[in-house]
Formats: sequence, C-alpha cells, structure tokens
Amino acid sequence: MRSPRTGRFALGLTIVAVPLVLALLGPVFAGEPGARAASFTLGDGHWLGTDFVGRDVWRQVLHGGRPVVLTALAATALAYLVALPVGLLSALTRHRLLEELLMRPLDVLLAVPSLLLILLAATVFSPGAVGLALLVALANVPDAARLVRAAAAEAAARPAVEALRMQGETWWRTAFGYVGRSMLRTLAADAGTRLTGVLYLVATAAFLGVGVAPDAADWAVMVDRNRTGLFVQPWAVVVPAVLIVALTTGTNLLFDAALDQGGRRGPRRTEKGTRP
Amino acid sequence: MKHEDEKGADVDAGRSVGVHADADTDRNVGAPADADTGGGPVAEIRGLRVVVDGRAIVDGVSLRARPGRVTALIGASGSGKTTTGLALLGEYPAGAHVTGDVRVADGGRVGYVPQHPAAALNPARRVSALLTDIARAQVRRLPVRQRRAAARDRVLRALAEAQLPDGEDLLRRYPHQLSGGQQQRVVLAQALLLGARVVVADEPTTGQDALTKSRIVERFRAVAARGIAVVLLSHDLDVVRALADEVVVLRAGRVVESGPARRVRTSPRHAWTRELLHGRTESTGPEEPATGPPVPRGREPLDDRTESPPPGAPAGDAGQPVLRVRGLTARHRDGARGATVVLRVPELDLYPGRSLAVVGRSGSGKTTLARCVAGLHRDHDGEVLLDGTPLPRSLRDRSPTQLAAVQYVFQDAHAAFDEHRPVVRQVARTAVRLRGTDEDTATREALTTLAGLGLPEELAHRHPGRLSGGELQRAALARALLARPRVLVCDEITSGLDTLTRRGILDVLTALVRDRDQLSLVLITHDLDTAALAHRIAVLDAGELVEQGPAEVVLTTPAHPFTASLVRTTTRLTAGTVT
Repeated sequence: MRSPRTGRFALGLTIVAVPLVLALLGPVFAGEPGARAASFTLGDGHWLGTDFVGRDVWRQVLHGGRPVVLTALAATALAYLVALPVGLLSALTRHRLLEELLMRPLDVLLAVPSLLLILLAATVFSPGAVGLALLVALANVPDAARLVRAAAAEAAARPAVEALRMQGETWWRTAFGYVGRSMLRTLAADAGTRLTGVLYLVATAAFLGVGVAPDAADWAVMVDRNRTGLFVQPWAVVVPAVLIVALTTGTNLLFDAALDQGGRRGPRRTEKGTRP
Repeated sequence: MKHEDEKGADVDAGRSVGVHADADTDRNVGAPADADTGGGPVAEIRGLRVVVDGRAIVDGVSLRARPGRVTALIGASGSGKTTTGLALLGEYPAGAHVTGDVRVADGGRVGYVPQHPAAALNPARRVSALLTDIARAQVRRLPVRQRRAAARDRVLRALAEAQLPDGEDLLRRYPHQLSGGQQQRVVLAQALLLGARVVVADEPTTGQDALTKSRIVERFRAVAARGIAVVLLSHDLDVVRALADEVVVLRAGRVVESGPARRVRTSPRHAWTRELLHGRTESTGPEEPATGPPVPRGREPLDDRTESPPPGAPAGDAGQPVLRVRGLTARHRDGARGATVVLRVPELDLYPGRSLAVVGRSGSGKTTLARCVAGLHRDHDGEVLLDGTPLPRSLRDRSPTQLAAVQYVFQDAHAAFDEHRPVVRQVARTAVRLRGTDEDTATREALTTLAGLGLPEELAHRHPGRLSGGELQRAALARALLARPRVLVCDEITSGLDTLTRRGILDVLTALVRDRDQLSLVLITHDLDTAALAHRIAVLDAGELVEQGPAEVVLTTPAHPFTASLVRTTTRLTAGTVT
C-alpha cells in the first residue's frame, strides 16, 4: 500500500527536479559564451547544436530557465499573498458591505482575459521580468481570492469556529490557525493547477515578447525564435519545450502525491470507534 | 404550518396505532406457525466476519430477516450494527476482509433508509424525478403511450404506502424543502417502489422528539405489515421495544444474545444485555406498561437541594436571577423574502445554582433560544440580561468576562473541535484567552478538569478524531468549564449518543450542578427523561413559550395541551406499547 504512493512522489520529484535544477543552477555552469557559429547546425562541439543566431543551444538552455521558473513561482506566491487575506477576511466578516467592497472589484478584473490584460499593460509600460511577475500575479488574484473565500466560507460556518469565538480566540488564530488550516488541501490542489496556468501565461508572454528581449536566453523565447529551423535543428525547440512540460507535469504529480498523503493522514472520524 | 398539521395527525395516529397493535398481538400468537409454514427468511446472514486493518468490526454475526417481522440490532455505538446492516446490501467498509454468508432470497431487493435521509436524496432534483427514475425502469414492457401514466401511478402508490398522503403537492418539491420526516418517507417510498423485500433502517429515530419517534415507529410497523422484513439498527431502546419482534444484541462486533424481543426484554440472559437495558427497565418495567407513572423515569433530580426548597416558589430560587430574558423575538433571514420570526419568549429567568430545561420538538426554536443567549444568533430583539446588565447581541462584541460568564456546549462535539490539534490544547485555550492564565497553568488545569469529567490524560493528548462522541462531549464540557462560567448552555449534548454514553454524560452534569454552587445550567433537549433532571422546565412549541414551571409540576400535571401530548407520548414509548 505504501510503495505506489512513494513511487508517485519519487516520479513527480524526478520530473520536476530536472527543469528546476537546470533553472536554478544552470547559469553557474554555463561558462563563458563561445564564438558564434552558423545558424541551425549540429555537432561541431555543440551538444545540442546552434540556434537561430548561431549560439550554443545547451548554453542557452542553462541560462533560459531562471527567468521562466522564477517569474512563475514569484507570481503564484504573490497571487496567494493577496488572495489569502482578502478571501479569509470576506469569508469571516459579518459585515456584508466589507465583503462586497473586497470581492466586487476583483469580479471586474476577472472579466478581463488575462492575456489581454498583460498585452495591454505591456504596450503602455513595457515591463521587465518583475513587471511581468506582478502582472501575472494580478491576473491570478481574482479567481484565487474567490476560491479562498468559497473554501473558507465552508470552514467558517462550522461549529468549531463558533466554539473558537466562544473561547475569545483571536482573529488571526481563528482565520489562519483553523480556517486556513482546514482548507489546506483545497489550496494545495489549486496551487498545483495555478502554477501550471501561471507557467503557461509567463511562457506565452515571453513567447509574445512581453517582459523579455527578443533574443533573450529564455525557454519560451527559444521555442518561439527557433521554430523556423524546427526541421533542420529540432533540439533548439524540443529541449526547452520538454523542460517546460516537465516542470508543469512534475508539479502536478507532486501535488497529487502530497494530497494523497494528506488524505491518508487526514481526520479519520471514529464515531464508530472501538470504545463505547 | 407543517407543525399544526402533524399535531392534528397525532389523534389519527393514536387511533391507527390501536389497530396495528392488535395486528401485532395476532402476529405474536401466530408467530411460530408463521415461521414454519410461511417460507424461510427473505434475508439471512450467517457467520459474518468483517475485518478492517486487522481488527474484526463484526465477528460471527448471524441474523435472519423474515417477511413481516421487525428484527432489531441493538448495541452501543461502534458495536458493528451499521456494518452488519450494510452487509445485507452487499456494502462493506473500504479495504474490508469479509468472510461468512449473506443471502437475500430470490434476488430480492434490499432498501436502505440511512440515518440522515437527506444524504441519500439528490438535492438538485425534485422528488418526482427521484421517484420516476425508478418507476420508469419498471414500465418498460408497456406500450410507450401508457408508460408515463403507469409510472406516475406507481409513484403515487408508493408515496401513499410510505404514508405521504399529499403526494401530488410533494412531488414538485426539492428534498431540502421537505422536513426530515418527509425525507425519510421519500427514501422509504423509493425502497417500496423498487419492490424491496427487506428494508434496513439505520438509526431512524436518533435525535428525534417523542412525537416524531412514535410516528416513525408507526411508519415501520406499517411497512412490516405489508409483509416486508424490516431490519432495525438502533440504540434507542424505546423504539426497539415498541417495534421489534426479534432482537439481536451486539457488543464489539459479536452477538451476545438474540431471541424474541419479549424474551430478551423480560429475561435477558447475558450480563451485557442487562446492563444495556438497565436504567431503562429499572423503574418502568415492561410488565406494568399502561399504568406507569406519568413522569417518564424516576431518576434522581439534579441535586438534593430540591428536597428542601420547593423549586417552583420564587422564594426557593435564592436571590437575583443570574440570567433574564426579556421580550425576545428572534428571526431567521429567509433569502430575499425578508425575515421570519422563529421564536418569541416574553420572559424567562435563570437563578444561580439551578437548572432549566428547555423542551420542544425539533424546529420549535429551542436551539435558537440557546444561541440568542450565547450570542451566536444576532438577529433578535429584546434583551438578555446578565446580572441586570444587557449582554451584547453578538459574542464578538462581548468582553472576555461576559464571554466567560455564558458558555455554550454544542450538539455535535466532533464538529465543534479543530481536528488538527490535540484536545487538551484546545481545552486549555479557554483559560488562556478568557481568564488570562499562562499556557502551563492552563494546561494543568485542563488536564485536571478533563480527568474530573472522566477523560484520562492519555486520551486528552489525542486528536479529536481519535475520541468517541461521548469522550469528546466530555472534553467540550471541560472546555466550557475552564471559563468558570456562571451559565452553561448545553444544546442537545446527549442526543445521538447511545444509552450508556448518555447516562455517563448526564451523570457528569448532575455532579456539576451539585459540586459547583454558582453554576446554572440551561439544558436544551427534546428528551423528557433528560429534562426531568432539571429544576424547572420551559416548553416551546412552534417558537412560542407555551408553558414553564417546576419540573415535577410540568411533567405530572401539564397545563398546556402540547406539553400533555409530549408527556403522554413519551410515557407510551417508554412503556413499549404504543396504544
């Protein structure tokens, strides 16, 4: 019973580790840039050939992970950082007005397609990597907040919360200690899919040239720029694409395995317990 | 509206009960012959053993369900009743290792009425859809044109058989628009529609008041009278007494005793059965049913002081009332349509060191009253005065002192605890937050209080999920007591517990009021036995306070017709003969 779960966990970890390690440590091992060779060639000292302007693909791969991965992780974390307090506050308050004030503006934001929002902001501000992370986070706050509120509202209606209030417990302990704690599984499930969505959005934005230079070392940019030579020198497209896929798949596998574990550790109600 | 409806029906029920009781005696007389000639059992379990995680939940249970007979499985919670009952449906707990023989005659179908019928009904579909789905499959052979009418006909007949006479109106409603009793009958109608030969009823009366109980007894008796075998899983001995033909007593998954109901009741062979029945049969033996005393049970009142001052007289209630309720009108918001008034209490006083039971049927506003007092229900007019000072309506506006003064114990102890933290730490928080003691002192005090209530240290360090309902309810009491409350509001804290556990909790309450001079108790209950423990009783009916007075007076000479019917039904159920 134990091995399949551990196996799934190990599999997820392995899959996610490759792009993560490459992204975080890649630039350290990349070394000095060599002289440019001809575009889209194979061999000749280049492991994975050369790209559209004759740079070494392996070196580009080593450099190109950090922007994608860091932007995606930062954007996801940032989205929750805003969504959690907003959702919890609106679920736990008894003032209808406050709840409306918090949630309705987010509904307006929810109506704007996220890619449109990013492109719109890009034409006005021409943001860098930090700007892109902020934009992607902003696009994710509304539905994350709604999800937090819905999950929290269910937990907040439980007698346990009333019992905590009866004990004069502080707002923080009630909100984060109990309500937040009991919706952890829902949040973990959401975080898995959200990170995937954010990765997709960051990659798309980079692919469209938002937040990065047109010839930057970036997995998403590499896929875009090198696709003209896909049939001549496939590695320049396939390797970065596979790394992005590995990152999203691995993340979801990992969250699934973690949730499974949570489920087994979770509250086993023993109403029909052994003791009378 | 629903309410008056049911009250009116009570008279009818009383009459029809008589008829069925006659049938019952007939059946009892002819029983042996019936068993011999009328074919074998429709369902049979032989030597069932269900093992989960290396522990036997059910061990060697044998059971026979005969047509037209009610077989009751009784035992404390955790004794394997539900597992055995579900085995008849071919359902087992996840990962269970099952041995033994479960047979249901000639592919006969088995109906199941779960403890919470709402969970068995799809909330998104109307009753008509839920029933027609089943009926449609049965009219496949008819020509297309006749199918619809035939299906509808079957549905209406099943509803009538399940004692839902106004079926037409009911079919248009969604499950959440039905009362609990109606939901139960719809599930029953589904089973009847399916042509079930055996109906398994899981704790059908848990948490119900006496009037509703007697109606449920009626319902299942009618089902049995149609030649359907009923398997009743219950820890409610009153209902078992009124309904069962055969009794199987379970303890920790094993059958300790089985046999005809009357024999098991009058001369239990096993010590455990005697203990289970003990206290129930003690004062009101089954041999002297009709003439039993009107007070359900001659249990000890909450303290011995009742002897000296007559609790009814204001002089007996020493000094100023600790809690007064004045002109209370509580509302429930009803979506966009505004608010409905659910409770009117013009005046209610609680004196120090005394206990008050608030009695009424489900939906009568008892819990709302308790929640208003505790500050959990904000939407009300009128005042709740503590020592003459009005308490803020919401407990979020109450000061720590005010919070500590009025504490509340919830009905569902499992839901009222945080499942992620050890019990003792949650209990100790009361002292930390409301009395400002430091963490260590609070923990020590929590352990002492828990031990005093019968929860040893080893259990106190566990998480709530690993305690039983009774143990957790003790912990909930300890959590409230650590505030050193002046008023303790207990909302149905014993309903849903089996007889033995309930007796334990009631003993704890008795001891509390005896030992703590300044503690006043408000007991919310539908159970007159529990109410008999209090000094005073207030009776609520459909949100109105219809009667209040000293316990003995209310129970022996009820002034209001509603109270009278409540007392009468309880006595009847206890006596075991619903006549």
